[in-house]
Amino acid sequence: MTRDEMFATVKANIREIVEGTKDVDIREDQSMRDLGADSLEIVEVVSRSMKQLQIKVPRTQLSGASNLKELLDLFEKSAMAARG
Amino acid sequence: MTGLGVVSVVGENVADYWASLVAGRSGITRWKNPEEKPVVHIGGDLSDFDTDLHFARAGERYPAPLVAKARKLLRPTPATGRITLPAALQAYLDAGLPDASLPPERFAHVLAGHNVNGNYVYQTGKAFREEPEFIDPLYGVLAGDTDVLSVVSELLGLQGPSFIVGGACASGNLGLMTAVDQIRAGRADAVLVTGASNDLDPPSLHAWMILDALSFRSFNDEPHRASRPFDARREGFVPSQGAGAMVLETLEGAQARGARILAEVAGVAAASDASRLTKPDQRGQVRAMSGALRDAGLGPEDVDYVNAHATSTPLGDAVEVAAIKELFGAHPRRLAVNSTKSMIGHCLSAAGIVELIATVLQLRHGMLHPTINQETPDPELDLDFVPNVAREARLETALSNAFGFGGLNSCVVVKRTP
Repeated sequence: MTRDEMFATVKANIREIVEGTKDVDIREDQSMRDLGADSLEIVEVVSRSMKQLQIKVPRTQLSGASNLKELLDLFEKSAMAARG
Repeated sequence: MTGLGVVSVVGENVADYWASLVAGRSGITRWKNPEEKPVVHIGGDLSDFDTDLHFARAGERYPAPLVAKARKLLRPTPATGRITLPAALQAYLDAGLPDASLPPERFAHVLAGHNVNGNYVYQTGKAFREEPEFIDPLYGVLAGDTDVLSVVSELLGLQGPSFIVGGACASGNLGLMTAVDQIRAGRADAVLVTGASNDLDPPSLHAWMILDALSFRSFNDEPHRASRPFDARREGFVPSQGAGAMVLETLEGAQARGARILAEVAGVAAASDASRLTKPDQRGQVRAMSGALRDAGLGPEDVDYVNAHATSTPLGDAVEVAAIKELFGAHPRRLAVNSTKSMIGHCLSAAGIVELIATVLQLRHGMLHPTINQETPDPELDLDFVPNVAREARLETALSNAFGFGGLNSCVVVKRTP
């Protein structure tokens, strides 16, 4: 699972869940708040992406991610740890 | 009463619902997803109710901005909310709302029904046992019954007192009674009463079967014949999905804004048997019915028609008929009694609202819908049940019963308005 593939999964979920993002360019330096997501939608995007990617990042760490780049960093780190 | 809305197994709007009731059409089928219901095979199943199709079929009857908002609210919402919200939207629009003369903070919302997300809770429990991290992340919000209340209030912008009234299968009438109390107490000028659908979890279905409360023996291959209140071959109730909603307002408020008044809620009452059992009690039923009549300032002789609770259980129907006879005299000659459940099954916590809608439609149309599946008369039950065929009738005043497990009895009296 490459970082590009992870980002593609996250972007697909944002486009499905957050209204008005279907045709928007989504960049790593943006946060989901920047894209118009409410608090429930953020939880849904993150959880759905983790389930699809079979990644489990502790919730205490997730709250520290301030944009998509930091979220993907956590995803990557967790995937690498799982691979050993 | 100024607005009605319904989503049921025989119609997903008031006009289609009424046409089916008059035609005596049953909405009871085999379960559409039978894999988790190994013993109870039949019911009223809205698991394939598709809100996108519903909105498309409603077309211009629903304003586009409200549909867009509803779609966004419903996207993560479990089945109960998806079935219930369109009924509430219909009632709101039917009442000619929004209306600037009715401020949102004076508009209350009572959701009739509790434990309405049982199947969603059950399915999430199964997922949790497999992997806690991957359950529906919104479970903490969506599993609570307040979510159904809140998506409706958010869609329609209702900002008055907003809460849930639960009382098993009496929830609908208890919700309506509470709504009337809100208006009488001056807490609100209008109340939306929403009877929430159930989503029928497999353990509950199985448990009701164990209690011998359901029809699960003779009619699995002919589900439309299973709900047969008063008939000698009745075996138990037929659980069903469905939601109803209605708008109540003060008479002065409705008249001042020129609203079409569909019926008058004349009286309401509730009475408890002080019993945890499922067994009905004639005395409690009589107290609820006579209490509602007293509240309306009417006597038994004023009533033309009773929409019975009549779930199609052997004991329940017999006790209710005995209660009606006690209140109305041994042979109430001009009293008609029917059961909407014979066609739509038992909508549980929504039953009171869905059936009160049927009652109001009968008053307005001057037509009694039938009790279907009347094939073998029960010699003990000898009232006029409007067997099998609808008929015209001049109806001024009706009484609608809803009784629930745990000895809960409730009754609403409605009067026709010009």
